[in-house]
Amino acid sequence: MSASLPNTAGIGLRSPHMAQVRRQRPPAGWLEVHSENFFVDGGPALVALEAIRADYAVSLHGVGLSLGSADALEASHLAKLRRLADRIEPAVVSEHLCWGHVDGRHLNDLLPLPLTDEALSLICRRVDAVQAELKRTILVENVSAYLRFGCDAMAEWEFVAAVAARTGCKLLLDVNNIYVNAVNHGFDPRAYLSAIAGESVDEIHLAGFEASGTCLIDTHGARVAAPVWELYRESIERFGPKPTLIEWDTDIPPLEVLLDEAAKAQAILEARDAVAA
Amino acid sequence: MPSLHELQRAFCAATLFEDRAALASLGITGGRVSPDAGIAVYRNNVLGNYRKALAATYPVVKRLVGAAFFDAAVDYFVRTFPSKSGDVNRYGSEFAMFLESYRPARGLVYLPDVARLEWAIDQAGIAADAPLLDLEALAAVPADKQGSLRFTLHPSVALIRSRYPILSLWRVNQAGHIGDQRVDLDEGADALLVMRGPAGVSIERIGEGEYVFLAALAEGAAIESASTRAAQCEPGFDLGDALRRHVTGQAIVAFSVFALPT
Repeated sequence: MSASLPNTAGIGLRSPHMAQVRRQRPPAGWLEVHSENFFVDGGPALVALEAIRADYAVSLHGVGLSLGSADALEASHLAKLRRLADRIEPAVVSEHLCWGHVDGRHLNDLLPLPLTDEALSLICRRVDAVQAELKRTILVENVSAYLRFGCDAMAEWEFVAAVAARTGCKLLLDVNNIYVNAVNHGFDPRAYLSAIAGESVDEIHLAGFEASGTCLIDTHGARVAAPVWELYRESIERFGPKPTLIEWDTDIPPLEVLLDEAAKAQAILEARDAVAA
Repeated sequence: MPSLHELQRAFCAATLFEDRAALASLGITGGRVSPDAGIAVYRNNVLGNYRKALAATYPVVKRLVGAAFFDAAVDYFVRTFPSKSGDVNRYGSEFAMFLESYRPARGLVYLPDVARLEWAIDQAGIAADAPLLDLEALAAVPADKQGSLRFTLHPSVALIRSRYPILSLWRVNQAGHIGDQRVDLDEGADALLVMRGPAGVSIERIGEGEYVFLAALAEGAAIESASTRAAQCEPGFDLGDALRRHVTGQAIVAFSVFALPT
């Protein structure tokens, strides 16, 4: 038996909205939280999450496991994730295709991996280890990147598709990150989509970016941009309806703005359903 | 071609320490921006994340020194006290210690203790929950065993002592504070109990004797010994009153009685 998210639009739940969501139970299809924010021993945050979990499917989205670090996997971090997953029984658990610490120093950011065979093998071993420890299939997400390395041996989409193919994990496809990388590194985002097998995609992320000079920065601090909505529509046409999340982490607006963005995604999902029917 | 480990080490050096040779060794290619600009995006992101995280934990320190001073202090702190966890919420326990030796903050003698208070408040909110003290069982302890009672404090309890009136400093720098923001540093020393009770995190000013008493209990001292130490520090220390208040306030959550070998 494996739980899964509904093919509807959900929102990323952050602490400023926790009390309001608990009180009002807004019509979001499901909710996603950052796992680390609940790596606590006790207190009101966990109690609130458990209360919310009673009414919504919840996704635990990790930002700190650092699957791609050459350093050993942080066992205590994985143990806390397991403890939280046992307690919350989330529909899905996800992490990022990135690295975050070296020689014991954490940078607490989603840093870009070189697209090499060494990095690919390492990350596949790590995904295997995490799936074994959590006793479940996890989702891994493609990240934004502001630079690439000369040692790259494959395209990003080949790397991402290979992780899913080799480990059996699922993909959390961030369509905004694909768009940001397509602009930053000059590739066709459709080539990216066409390399991804629809059945490997279990979730989609949408967020806003901001331009800084000639570079797009994935700030999660704005509404989803028009070309990203277009790419999302194409993704849904290609892959079929998928659980879709609106993420907002910088200058977090009123909850209503997130729900409004989620309603737009929901309309695109329903339009696809209508065509399919 | 660098190994993955070498590349990550060089990336860290180029990002945090602006190491030119490390940046060159990364072989950053193509894209819309130069290698310098690309690595600068990560530098801004990484430092920006820490500034935000520490501002959430230390809002009063930030208010006392101003945003520009605070950001510069955080940037220096990050370079000298590395984060040791993938969970950024855990970062910052050493900020008070860092501030003690941070030269630009030398004149702000009370700042490290304010930081200590803010860390305690932050940690109290996420500490483990604890069951209530079993009062019936406590009442049943025979009189001749009462002196050897040992109490367990709530996991959220922190005891903070400062030469400066840090509670007043903290209070007048809360976002909702209205009125005079001046604090006389000669107002006196503070002994504080920070903990999470049923109504949330609280900060209570306690007496010197009470501080010594609770600190001794936290160390595992038996009640008789803790009470003696408190009375040495504050002759008027009232054991019965202290026990009543901290049992009612739920700072004391469990007890044990050891039969000493005779």
